[in-house]
Amino acid sequence: MATTEKENLREREVTSRVWGIGVRHIVYMALGAALYGIFSYFTNILQLPSAGNVSFRPAIVIPLFFGAVFGPWVGLFSGGVGNLLGDYISGYGVYWNWDVGNALIGFIAGLVVYLTWGIYRHSRSIVLAEVFAALGVIIGIGFASYTEIWLSKLTFVTATTGYFLPAGLSDLINGLILLPILLLAYRAAVARFGR
Amino acid sequence: MLITLPYVKRDTPIHRLDPRAKLLLLLAYGLAAAQTSNVWLILAGFVGAACYYGLARLKWSETRRAWLFIIFLNVILVFGNYFLSGGAIVQGIDLSHQHQLFSLPFLGFLNHPPYIGPKPLVFSVESITYMLTMGLRNFSIAFLAVAIPYTTNPGHIGVAFKQLGLPDQFAYAIDLSFRFLPTLARDFSVTLDAQRARGFELDKLRGGIFGRIARLAPLVVPIVIGSVVGAEDIVNAMELRCFGVGRRTWLTELQTRPVDRLLMALAMTVFLLVTVLNILGNFYTSGPLHILHEQGLPAFLLH
Repeated sequence: MATTEKENLREREVTSRVWGIGVRHIVYMALGAALYGIFSYFTNILQLPSAGNVSFRPAIVIPLFFGAVFGPWVGLFSGGVGNLLGDYISGYGVYWNWDVGNALIGFIAGLVVYLTWGIYRHSRSIVLAEVFAALGVIIGIGFASYTEIWLSKLTFVTATTGYFLPAGLSDLINGLILLPILLLAYRAAVARFGR
Repeated sequence: MLITLPYVKRDTPIHRLDPRAKLLLLLAYGLAAAQTSNVWLILAGFVGAACYYGLARLKWSETRRAWLFIIFLNVILVFGNYFLSGGAIVQGIDLSHQHQLFSLPFLGFLNHPPYIGPKPLVFSVESITYMLTMGLRNFSIAFLAVAIPYTTNPGHIGVAFKQLGLPDQFAYAIDLSFRFLPTLARDFSVTLDAQRARGFELDKLRGGIFGRIARLAPLVVPIVIGSVVGAEDIVNAMELRCFGVGRRTWLTELQTRPVDRLLMALAMTVFLLVTVLNILGNFYTSGPLHILHEQGLPAFLLH
């Protein structure tokens, strides 16, 4: 009986820690979205040489980082609203499938919190964060790219070579290089400030 | 390097529209336009979207940057799609009797090794019309999409999402993210200047692709970590004020006018009508119920 109660309590704790939304989550959602928007806006000048329509976006690390540290909802919001903000302040308008794709990136990257609790002290947890980040990028960019087949009537080959490969590869490389750097810096900052 | 939001304060019918109506119109039109390749229907949508954009009275000098990007992107996509498909793919349309005009020797994908090889690039009435339809569709969506940031007060976006039924926390987070923008833009600028003073050159990053990305760390890390640590003060301030304990009220409340309701009803009706027609079109091979599955080419072009 006592074991079942303990298990229930633990389950509830895990659920609230991963899925709960408190004041802290709201502030980090907003911060993540604003950072993603700002970085996207300022780094739009760095265009990929291979694909004229996809910019080289180190900003992708923002939803990955916020997801990995603060959970899937924060990742989802940072990615989705951040992409919307980036397009909004650039004056490009609103493109819902790319917003949903970016939201998926942050959400899937955030699921790693189930395994790491948002703490990255060992290389194992950082590797896990990288794996979830890679999955998030592939699924999120895949969603955004392949919905274009239906929305813009592109062929599968065009969606793959024009969107999925350049955007996905760029996001994967940027995300996987910058994410561990940010996680280590965050760990050092938390240790220093005791927060 | 300071950030300026694209919103242009002006008194036009589009500026006065409720943000919810603008968002709903964009979504409904995008989903409806995706369901057909009938050139006349898409042309009608394009004309309607262009009139809508015209009513916003936005100047070229204000929207130049966005339009140059959109024109470039669309040209690449439309022509890229044509060349990559060898001009042979027209989605959702019966192409059993294509009217070929001419073909050029070109490269294409093959279904046997080496998978890429010589293949004629077909120019037919149907494929050229399809290319035109694609361009019209993309530009009509762009007319509706670009109008949003230039005609909508950013302060109304959070409220609009709240009144669309989004939970308070998410709507407030959207509002807060807009408030963060000027501060973060300033931090970005200050950090960039500080790192440049130390010899960091964003425009001339050396090394291979991996080295270049890793060299962005001196810019990314201080801004992100500084903001995350600094945000703790905002969290504390909000908790001290018991944020989220009771029901939240909003200073601004959006009121829909009859014209907003009419636009929303029209957008939803068109979307539903197109969806029903699209479904029915699968059961009829000709006639008015099949209209969405036809390109609608005039007879003189086919003879």
